[in-house]
Amino acid sequence: MSLSRSPSPHIGGGWSSPGLTSPSPHGTSTPTNAYSSMNGGSNTVTWASAKARSAQVNGYPSFSTKNSGFFGRHFRSLSQSLPKWNAGASRSYAEKEKLGRGRWYPNRGSTLGNLRTFIGRLLRRSKIRAMLLLTIVLGLLLFYLTPLHHWYRRSAFFGGGSKFVVILGANQGGGVMEWKGAREWAIERDSVRNKREYARRWGYELEIVDMSTKKRYAHEWRESWEKVDTLRNAMRKYPKAEWFWWLDLHTLIMEPSYSLQSHIFNQLATNTYRDINIYNPLNISHPPTESYLDPESLSAVGDGKPESIDIIVPQDCGGFNLGSFFVRRSPWTDRLLDIWWDPVLYEQKHMEWEHKEQDALEYLYANHPWIRPHTAFIPQRKLNSFPPGACSDNGEDSRIHYAEKDRDFLVNMAGCEWGRDCWGEMYSYRQLSNKLNRSGWEKFKDSVSETYKKLRATKKTKQTEEKKKD
Amino acid sequence: MQFALPPRKFSHPSFSESKFSPSSSLRRRRLQSGAILACAAITVLFLLTRIYSFIFTDRPPAGTPKVVVVTAFDAVHTPVYTEKIKENRRDYASRHGYATFFPKVTDYDLSGHPSSWAKVPAMRHAMTKFPYTTYFFYLDQNALIMNPSLALDDHIMSPKRLESLMLRDTPVVLPDSVIKTFSHLKGDRIDLVLAQDNSGIAQGSFVLRRGEWAKYFLDSWFDPLYRNYNFQKNEGHALEHIVQWHATILAKLALVPQRLLNSYNADASGAGAYKPGDFVINFPNCDMDGGKSCEEELEPYFIEWRTQKAQHKYT
Repeated sequence: MSLSRSPSPHIGGGWSSPGLTSPSPHGTSTPTNAYSSMNGGSNTVTWASAKARSAQVNGYPSFSTKNSGFFGRHFRSLSQSLPKWNAGASRSYAEKEKLGRGRWYPNRGSTLGNLRTFIGRLLRRSKIRAMLLLTIVLGLLLFYLTPLHHWYRRSAFFGGGSKFVVILGANQGGGVMEWKGAREWAIERDSVRNKREYARRWGYELEIVDMSTKKRYAHEWRESWEKVDTLRNAMRKYPKAEWFWWLDLHTLIMEPSYSLQSHIFNQLATNTYRDINIYNPLNISHPPTESYLDPESLSAVGDGKPESIDIIVPQDCGGFNLGSFFVRRSPWTDRLLDIWWDPVLYEQKHMEWEHKEQDALEYLYANHPWIRPHTAFIPQRKLNSFPPGACSDNGEDSRIHYAEKDRDFLVNMAGCEWGRDCWGEMYSYRQLSNKLNRSGWEKFKDSVSETYKKLRATKKTKQTEEKKKD
Repeated sequence: MQFALPPRKFSHPSFSESKFSPSSSLRRRRLQSGAILACAAITVLFLLTRIYSFIFTDRPPAGTPKVVVVTAFDAVHTPVYTEKIKENRRDYASRHGYATFFPKVTDYDLSGHPSSWAKVPAMRHAMTKFPYTTYFFYLDQNALIMNPSLALDDHIMSPKRLESLMLRDTPVVLPDSVIKTFSHLKGDRIDLVLAQDNSGIAQGSFVLRRGEWAKYFLDSWFDPLYRNYNFQKNEGHALEHIVQWHATILAKLALVPQRLLNSYNADASGAGAYKPGDFVINFPNCDMDGGKSCEEELEPYFIEWRTQKAQHKYT
C-alpha cells in the first residue's frame, strides 16, 4: 500500500495525495469539470459515501441484508444473475483516463453541440417526467381510438350511460291504418339513425318501439295508448336503467355532442322548474289550496329537492308535450303509469281528450295532488324545440321555437303530419345539424371552396359586364 | 486495506442511509402507524356520519300516537248520538295511547256528492294533522268499538299477524270477480287493510298506513270523475273499481275476515254477523231511511258497551 490515507490540511480539501486531487485542465480551481465529478467531487468523498458506492457496485451492502424484505432479496438476486453491460467499457480500460487531460467530449465548444448535450442531459434527468407524459398521451389516444371510451361512458359507475334508455316510437300510425310511402320510410330511417348514433356515442340504451296500430289498442277506448305500456315494458327490459326518455318519431337530435348528463341531469335543479306558474299555458291553479292536504302537496315546489323529481315534461303553447319527456324508475312512476289509463276516466273523457295520454296526464296533474310534488317541467327549448310551423298561431316564440344561434338540443316536428311537409322539415334540419356540427377541417375546406366560388362568381360577373360594355 | 481514521462526519446525512435502503424495521413502523391512522380516520368518519344521520333524520317526536281513529260526522244525527260515538272512540284511544280525529263532513268540498265521500279527504286530513303516526283507522259514524281491549297495531297490523290473517288468492269482489288478491304478499308491504261483506268490499272500517302510497290511493279514490260517474254505491264502488283495475293498489291491499274489524249487526246474515267479543260492530245501512233508526239500533249495543266499561271487564 503505497498510498496511506492522511487527512487533508484543509477542511474539505480532499485527498492529500497528488494522484487523487483534481487537477484542472484549464488551470482553474473550479471542481465542476468532468474529471473531478467522476470521483464524486473532491468535497463529498467521505468514508460512508465511498463505502456506499462500493456496496452499490459489489452487490450486497454490508448492512441491512438480513432483514431485507422478500422483494428486496429476490430482486437483487435476480438482477445479479442478469448479464451486465457497461456502456463505458471501452472508456474504462481501453482508454484510461489520462491525468490532466480531462475527458474528450463530442462537439465540444460549438454552441450547437452544447445545446445538444444540454438537451440530452435534460432529457436524461427528466426521464421519469417524459415517460409519464408519454404514457398519458398514449393512454388518451388509446382511450379514444379503442372502444374503451364507449365502455367508460356506458358503465354505470363512470359515465352512467347505461342508466339512460332512449325509447323511440317508430312506425307511428303504420300497420293496419294506412299505407306508408317512400317519404315516410325515409323519415323513419333518418330518425332512427339519428337516435342510434346518439345512443351509441354516449352509451345509452336505445329501444325502438313498433307503434303500428295493433288490434289491442284499436278498441275505441284505448286508441294509441301504447306509450304507457311501452314505458312499462322498457322498464322491465332494462332493470338497471334509471331514466327513460320517450321520443316521438318526428324528432331530430340537433346537437349529438350534448350528453344528457351534462345537458340536463348534472344540474337537474337549475335545468327544470317545479312551479308551473313560471310557464302555465293551461292556467292550472297551483299550488293546491285544499285545507286537508299535507304541506308538501300544498307547496308550489314540492320538497324542492331534485331527488324527488320522477317525471320531466316540457310545455308547449298548448300545455304538456309528451313528444319528448323523461320518467324515472320509482314506485311513484309505477303508480302514475298504472293510474294513467283508467276506463272510468276514459269513458267519460275520450271525446274531449284529443291528445289521449297527454290530456290524461294534464287532467291527473290538475286533479290529483299526489302527482305535483314529483313532477318537474323543463323549458321547452332545452328538450323539445319546435320548428316555426308548430305552435305558429302567435308567431315566433323564443320559449318554443328552435333558434340556430343557441344550438338547441332537439327539434320536434310536432304535428307535421297534419298539413305540413314532414320529410322536408326533417331533411332541412338534418342538413342544418350536419352543417353546425362540422369538424374544424371540414369547416376550413368549406370556407376555402366558398371563397373560391365567390371569387369565380365575381370574376364572371365582371367579365360579363365588360362584355356588355363592349 | 486498512484505514487509519474513521470517516469524517458531515452535517448532511449521507445518501446511503436515507435514500437507498431504509431499514425494514423503520418501514414496518411507518406502515403500522399509517394503518393505525387510517383506522382512526375511518372510525371518526363513521361516527360523524352516524351523528349526522341521527341529527337530521325525521324522527317522530315524543308522544306521537301510533294509531289515529278517524270518524267523519255529518249533520244528520243528533248531537247526543254523535257525542256517544265520540265517547266510544275516545275511550278506546285512551286505553292504548292512540289519538282520535273527528272532522265534520262540511269541512270538505264534496261539490254536491253524497256525504259518504267525506271519509277520503278526512283520512288525508288526518295524515296531515298527525304526520308521524303510522296507522290511520277509519270507522264509520254508525259503528261502535265493542271490544276496546284489542290494540289495533298488535291485533291486526303487526306484519306477522297480518300475514296469518290476510286472505290470499281470493276474489276481490264477491262472489266471482276475476281479479284476485295476490298470493305472495308480505305483511310489512301492506298499506291498506279492508274486509269484504256479502256484496263486495266494505269501506265502513279500514286501516291505512302512512306513506306516499296512501296519498296516491286517497287522491285516486277521490278523483272528481269517479265522483261524477254515478257509481251505484258511490265511494264503495269507486273503491272496488280502482282495486280491480290498478295493480299498484291491489298489491298493497290485504283483505281480512270481516269480523276482525267490521262485524255487522246481528240481523245481517252470513259470516260477518256480530258475535260478542268482536272488535267492532257496524250498522252499515241504518241511515238509509233517516237518522232516527240508527240511534235506535245502536242504543242496546251502546248500553252493553257502557256496562262493560263500568265493570272494567275489558281492562
